[in-house]
Amino acid sequence: MPTLIRKTLMRRCLTPTVLVALLTMATACDKTLTVEPTTEVEESQAIIDAPSVRAALAGAYDALQSGSYYGGDFLFISDLASDDVSHVGTFTTYADIDQQVTAADNSTIEDIWDAIYTSIGRANTLIAKVPEVTQLSEEERNDIVGQAHLIRALGYHNLVRLWGPVPIRLAPPASLNELASTERATVAQVYAQILTDINQATQLMSSDSRTTDASLVAAEALKSRVLLYQANWPATLAAADNVINEGLELAPNFASLFSPSAETPEDIWRVAFTATEYNLSGFYYLSKALGGRYEIAPTASLENAYESGDARLTWSIQRDSRNRRYGAKWRTTEGAEDLHIIRFAEVLLNKAEAQTMLGNLSGAVATYNLVRERAGLAPHTLGVDVSTQTEVRDAVWLERRRELAFEGDRWADLVRTQRAVSVLEIPAFRTLFPLPQNEIDVAPRIVQNSGY
Amino acid sequence: MTRRGLWSAVLVAAGGVATVLLPSRATAQATGFIRGEVLDSASRRPVDGVQVVVAGSTLGAVTTSDGRYLIRNVPVGSYTLRATRLGFGPAQRGVTVAALDTAVADFTLRTAAINLSQVVVVGYGTANRREVTNAVATVRSEDLVNMPVASVAAALQGKAAGLQVIQNAGNPGNGISVRVRGSSSLSAGNQPLYVIDGIPMLRDSYSQLGMGGQDVSAVSGLSPDEIASIDVLKDASASAIYGSRGSNGVVLITTKRGQAGRPKVSFNGYYGTQDISKKVNMLNAKEYVSYFNEAAKNDGYADDELPFVPGVDDTINTDWQKAVLQTAPVYDLSVGMTGGSERISYYVSGAFFNQTGILLGSQYQRANVRANLDFAPSSKLSVRTSIGLGREGNVRNENDNTIDGVATNALANQPNVAVRNSDGSFTSTDDGLEYTNPVGLGVLDNAESRTLRAMGNTEMSYAFSDRFRLNGRIGVDMLNLRDLRWNSPLIIGTYAASAAGVAQQGNTTVSRYVAETYLQWDIPGQRIGQLSIVGGSGVEYNSSENDFLQGEGFGSTQFRYPGSAGKVTSYDGGRTDNNLASFFTRANWSLHDRYYASASVRTDGSSRFGKNNRYGTFSSASVGWALSDESWLSAIRKAGDMKIRLSYGETGNQGIPDDYASLARFSKANYADAPGIAPSSLANPDLKWETTREFDVGLDFSMFAGRIGLVTDYFNKKTDDLLVFRPITSTSGFTSVYDNIGNIANRGWEFQLNTEPIRESRAGGFSWNSDFNISFLKNEVTALYRNEPFNSGIRSLNRVEVGQPLGAFQTLRFKGVNPETGNAIYDDVNGDGDITASDRTIVGSPHPKYFGGWTNTLNFKRFDLRSFLQFTQGNKVFNAIRIFADDGGYYFDNKLKDSYDKRWKAPGDVAEQPRLSYDGTSGARDVSSRFVEDGSYLRLQEVTLGYLVPQSLARTLNLSDARVFVSGRNLVTWTEYTGFNPDVNSNGSTASISLGTDFYAYPLARTISFGIRGSW
Repeated sequence: MPTLIRKTLMRRCLTPTVLVALLTMATACDKTLTVEPTTEVEESQAIIDAPSVRAALAGAYDALQSGSYYGGDFLFISDLASDDVSHVGTFTTYADIDQQVTAADNSTIEDIWDAIYTSIGRANTLIAKVPEVTQLSEEERNDIVGQAHLIRALGYHNLVRLWGPVPIRLAPPASLNELASTERATVAQVYAQILTDINQATQLMSSDSRTTDASLVAAEALKSRVLLYQANWPATLAAADNVINEGLELAPNFASLFSPSAETPEDIWRVAFTATEYNLSGFYYLSKALGGRYEIAPTASLENAYESGDARLTWSIQRDSRNRRYGAKWRTTEGAEDLHIIRFAEVLLNKAEAQTMLGNLSGAVATYNLVRERAGLAPHTLGVDVSTQTEVRDAVWLERRRELAFEGDRWADLVRTQRAVSVLEIPAFRTLFPLPQNEIDVAPRIVQNSGY
Repeated sequence: MTRRGLWSAVLVAAGGVATVLLPSRATAQATGFIRGEVLDSASRRPVDGVQVVVAGSTLGAVTTSDGRYLIRNVPVGSYTLRATRLGFGPAQRGVTVAALDTAVADFTLRTAAINLSQVVVVGYGTANRREVTNAVATVRSEDLVNMPVASVAAALQGKAAGLQVIQNAGNPGNGISVRVRGSSSLSAGNQPLYVIDGIPMLRDSYSQLGMGGQDVSAVSGLSPDEIASIDVLKDASASAIYGSRGSNGVVLITTKRGQAGRPKVSFNGYYGTQDISKKVNMLNAKEYVSYFNEAAKNDGYADDELPFVPGVDDTINTDWQKAVLQTAPVYDLSVGMTGGSERISYYVSGAFFNQTGILLGSQYQRANVRANLDFAPSSKLSVRTSIGLGREGNVRNENDNTIDGVATNALANQPNVAVRNSDGSFTSTDDGLEYTNPVGLGVLDNAESRTLRAMGNTEMSYAFSDRFRLNGRIGVDMLNLRDLRWNSPLIIGTYAASAAGVAQQGNTTVSRYVAETYLQWDIPGQRIGQLSIVGGSGVEYNSSENDFLQGEGFGSTQFRYPGSAGKVTSYDGGRTDNNLASFFTRANWSLHDRYYASASVRTDGSSRFGKNNRYGTFSSASVGWALSDESWLSAIRKAGDMKIRLSYGETGNQGIPDDYASLARFSKANYADAPGIAPSSLANPDLKWETTREFDVGLDFSMFAGRIGLVTDYFNKKTDDLLVFRPITSTSGFTSVYDNIGNIANRGWEFQLNTEPIRESRAGGFSWNSDFNISFLKNEVTALYRNEPFNSGIRSLNRVEVGQPLGAFQTLRFKGVNPETGNAIYDDVNGDGDITASDRTIVGSPHPKYFGGWTNTLNFKRFDLRSFLQFTQGNKVFNAIRIFADDGGYYFDNKLKDSYDKRWKAPGDVAEQPRLSYDGTSGARDVSSRFVEDGSYLRLQEVTLGYLVPQSLARTLNLSDARVFVSGRNLVTWTEYTGFNPDVNSNGSTASISLGTDFYAYPLARTISFGIRGSW
């Protein structure tokens, strides 16, 4: 019997059984092994119609919310590296930035770099893909692509302020292979690209007024900032005036600019935050007793920079039960306040500085007095409080420090005005941050800033 | 053979699913049964796990805890029965089976140091140790039970050569890191595959709560009480039958099974108390105050600018560690019952384990039930089903890497502040604390992960003849894990206080369905040897679904669920799937019972990879030669048994934590309330398996009648095409992409020495068994993407660089203290005169040079005494606590006493530690090799004294036998390490690269327990 079974199996059963089994399995396999994601969408299915284009635009703004960008670190380190804010918490990467010993492996610096390029990458995706989606009207397509250009301009300006010459990428990567040969552009090339993007944004965007998304006013405001950094005074003045002519005005109450869900006539371009998509500003500055992390705190130098009675001082700097200063510009740990990318007060100060440098001192004083008076301070009189061009310029700079404290302006402003080395007592190479070591490791043509 | 039988076979094989087979009546053969009992010759106690086989056939059975066995379907005739068991000498006897009759064959076994006839589970079958030609280690159930640890993985520590177990943290029920022959992957995981009764088991951490290194592990869902034996497939040749998931080794777990006979009940229980094994020596209030004042003076602060006033600021002295620690109970109770008839046998058990943590607010509980049934509807068909249900509750508090941790803040907070205010409320940052009150956190906050688990499988085996068998198996492993976390608003100084409470709730459902069919075919032959072939196919479906809610703002502090919150502040939900389809075959050949060869091939298709590289084929071959059985080598034969083994195999790894890694994808990116999408990953359609190729040569040697046994192996293992989340320039808009790049090599020696220095001269006499294992391991990264190194881990200390061990510590090298300035001196590696990040250099490896364990067992009359030493040598631990606790005074955290005592004080001092510096200018603040400590340790892990209750006394309690014992665990640790515990990994069990970092990890307990085991 066993012999019979063996022979039967060999000849008639085993071979066909195995063959049929293999065949059935093989056809079933392809189905079994093809699995579609459910919480993600494959690229080819992603940007295809009007709703998905609008979603991709929201995605580009979402990148600004990152905890490493406007949601947190990007704003913090610009103040931490300056004389306005010092480190009081536990993050050792913050401590290094505060102590001016930042190294190329500082993960906070790397995260900021990554976040800004992520935002640029999302803008690049919109600029590349949206023109192909014919389901949208040409007007809406242009408006969306225009906004993407302004997001990209903002990104490159933030990069060039922190790192100087940076690589320029204007399209999604075509393949993995091209990435390793990425190189840095020159500062002039980066600025040229920023202005090109702003101009394209201006040409393409609709005239809709909006403040949590990019708009024509935002493009002009950003342009005034970018030109200020280039010391192009006439053009700065022109751009600032374009904003002023749109009829914006300062918010009567300084505090209202930093309250949750408040809209003010000063708003130009803000990053929207909610309880689920929150920023870290309040949490990191507020005292522990208020539930804050108290990671960073205002310095005595900043406090002393204010005149007594300045509404900006009384609102923004408070003391805890142990008499320690803490930042109080944002008063909730929840972080649902919309944060300003640029607001009207800055445009006025951009204008005042341009006026000063162009010799229009009385115009400059009149311009920055608007900001002083809103803070409850007496206006300056030319010839009494300030007389020379240098004095007017210094007054504009001081007003800028007071007005924009904690909003991520100070360090870049010190560098721009070439005061950083003397005010911060740092070697000249520290006026640029180190490029992330990882970038240099994976793309060796990217060279490190000197000194690091 | 009927056509019906044939088509049933086709159906089963084709579908990959076991279908109920219609029993064939045509060829029923006259059979009978063999049963019996196996006793220890010395103690006369029943011996479980004895393999009793009918010589020259595949028929056999394993004894249960009462020492009984039953072999079914034995054709009428006379046979030789062999009884074998690791640790016992083999025994054999003749038996004659009559039709439908039950022959009785009892055995008594003598203990032996090692035995080559032991039966091992090898995946899709079992093999005799003698025939095994690759590296397989076996651990017995009695080495696993009665340890006051939750996970079977923790119980394996030090028990088998080549198996490295890292506890990570001391909290109850914590996830454990297990490495079989080293780390071989960067991103695809280094944990072995766990297979329970043939079904690959869920193994990962599925909790959605971020708890630093304190993750959970699905492995802990299995009670050690349910396990009969564990076999570890170590080399690639052994694990190649598990193909694409075999490269980290395979842990095969066999649960206990039923035995025919009258119902027999056994129970086992212990109760223990746990205390902290070692506290960290921190400053008291007076020292703390003088520390900071000295730090300020060193930096030129005037006397009136000093941070503290002695005599005023140091009047309160709080030992925060003492405040958060407690003496905590641990207990385990299990009851098992077995019995049955000749056609059906059962094993049912229930177990309950409860471990309270030694830190406030932590606990682990597990309840298990199991039902394993074996039945034989006909003489050709046998069915086995194994069902295990469990419930786990794991209450954790955050520690590692947080500013709101219980252990963290117990080390970090100032000793000069009281725990409570005079009104009984917890002190806070308002009262001078730098961080949240850890006692408040331990008492008021809560985070529990509850797991419901079902593991089950049914196997059917249909014997066409005694040579040809078709097996079908379906199995599931399912778990539902419910996370619930509550951060109380009552703890001042926390985010939760400002948000009026924060609650999180997560649900995770993970399921795995497995269906396999395989044929076993034995071809006996005398001249050309005996051949047995296994071949089959299988499919596996995995899915994971989760949802998550976080709510803030509660109207009552009694509320706990996000459903009661004022608003939702975070939410998530989704599902991922991955499937596997496999074909496998293995052939074993033996000639004259001394030449052995084995070969296997497995092809796996995985849904995780792109169409270009979806299938991977993994093959292996091995040979063995029992030298001592050669007549022309009679000299060796006189000395003992000897076998040499040689094997080579390929295995794969697909364990990347992304089921769709080959696709370019967009994912959710909402802006305020507007729904948004954004690109989240780049495509890599060429993504494929990691492949490990391993060569192993082994020698099994046994002499002096089995009183000395040695198993030794040398292995060389190379892993290619590493799956890596490779960093790319983030100017692309992406930071990383999954890619196959780089190689890692592991090579080493393993020795397992089992000896019996003193053998009892008569029953109840004195005997001594001593088992020692040691593993030497060298790990090296041999290639990377364009050989570019990168860093990972806390403070980016773990380096991945060609020529270095995986995750080697890279940091500044501390050279000592400048006697004049008191500042730290660091090695200026690049010689540019500045100490910068580019002076970071490799200062040590997180991998041990060698590790192992040593067990000694003494028996005298009714007493048994066991000790277990476990050791790890040559690895470094990054004591990251020192960033804050040994920084010279930049942070207000409490400081390490040891460094304080060794600090520089005045010019001319030759000191070990730098001066104190309030502004952080002494260089002490820099992370350096000063914080990378020797993690070597030798630990007296266990001492157990047992006493076998006299029969007369047991009988009065209606017990057939009973043993009582008292046991201590983690009794003494000899180490230079200054933290709580050098057996640590604050990056958790899923960390592949960043090992060996201690960042406020949960401390380890010392346990004294007593227990009783008995049966009736």
